[in-house]
Amino acid sequence: MPQQLAIIVLVDVGSALESESLEGNTYLFDNMKLQGSTGQGTGELVTAINGSYWRDGSQASEQVLNWLPYSLGSIPPTVPRGYEADRARQSDEQALAALQDLASKSSVPGTDQSEQLSQVRKTVGARVKTTRRTSGRLSGQKILDVTGKVVTEDNTAAYTYPAPVITDIYGEAVDSKIMYPAEYGSPDLVTDGWYWSATVDTSRPGTYSYVMRIQLHKLVGLNGELRWEAVNLTCPSALKITSEPRRNAFTKAGMGMLPIPPGAGTRPGTP
Amino acid sequence: MKPQVNIIAVVDVIGALSGSTLLDGNLCMMDDGEHSSAHQGTPDLCTVVQPGQVVSWTALAVDLQTPVEIKNISFVPADDRHASGQGQGQAQGRPHGQGQSQPHGQAQGYSNGHAQGEHSEGDKLDLDVWTGVVPGWLQPGVAYQYRLELQMYEGENSVMHIDTPALMCRQH
Repeated sequence: MPQQLAIIVLVDVGSALESESLEGNTYLFDNMKLQGSTGQGTGELVTAINGSYWRDGSQASEQVLNWLPYSLGSIPPTVPRGYEADRARQSDEQALAALQDLASKSSVPGTDQSEQLSQVRKTVGARVKTTRRTSGRLSGQKILDVTGKVVTEDNTAAYTYPAPVITDIYGEAVDSKIMYPAEYGSPDLVTDGWYWSATVDTSRPGTYSYVMRIQLHKLVGLNGELRWEAVNLTCPSALKITSEPRRNAFTKAGMGMLPIPPGAGTRPGTP
Repeated sequence: MKPQVNIIAVVDVIGALSGSTLLDGNLCMMDDGEHSSAHQGTPDLCTVVQPGQVVSWTALAVDLQTPVEIKNISFVPADDRHASGQGQGQAQGRPHGQGQSQPHGQAQGYSNGHAQGEHSEGDKLDLDVWTGVVPGWLQPGVAYQYRLELQMYEGENSVMHIDTPALMCRQH
């Protein structure tokens, strides 16, 4: 069957970081409910993969799996890539305007400059420190909340987490060569330009477990600086593979004549 | 003569389901026959074949992550077709397995088992291979129209059909 299969890995990032575990904080979905997948929307998803084979035993259909990590409590992955940078720049511009305003007022006696400066500092937000290890899209940006507002000293609790990243897929199904996962580059920026995909050998029916290694990012404040620190967690799931023989749909057996009734057919032009 | 002619029905599943029609560009049919088949890329495809040739039908989804399978292919006797012309390409709107009125041509035993109400959700349509040999008695130049039924996921609006595609034997 040519339909591609998608497995959505939805992570409650805040809770997972708090409990340092993906157990109970992961919700898995696939588009194979019709074909028999069970445990949709829970951490116990078993993905049904229905293979088929020809009369000589050879594999008749190839199944392709795609994994997509989503996040609860993040800015949706569908906003433009430059969104964080744009929001950070906007808050910088606001701060500059406020400073200019302050400078022009500074000659006026009786202005409480320190109070106004502190106000500017509060609205400008905090940038995440870039280190060699954390350089990339996350670093150098300001911290936003889920609505895209720059997080300031007043509301530090409400920041958005970077989307989870799958860094490996391994385990029984891979070791026993049931599936062949790999990470691919993608023009679809919703997946950050990368995604995990696998082809499946459906010739050996059975239930096979596998494990996803998922990287989350935790905001850590150290010496007055903020940085995203990687936290690697694992999440198990399973594939249930079945395989059945192909059959001729007209005869239910071997190939035969097309079932065209004697009265059928019209000459073009006749009503 | 090519031993086999392949007919592919490409379906925009989301378009078909949301508009409840296989028309409006939601279904395109193409074949790779060596003779010039008429209306390539439309639901009116008339595939030119020769007796003894194998014809094979496949359905493909435009969006690879949507499900579509061929539910049935049945050849329609000429007299019956006019009566069934209404609602062409529309959703049949009948629940599964509830003694649905038979599409024309099937009451006479020219269909396979799928449309007879004996199959339900567990149809396993993905195992079906829609392949058959062109009979020798077909008259050249005559269009043998068939009903193509497509199933997209499940539920009462999941099956739609069209009666317009045809096979035609090559004229000598």
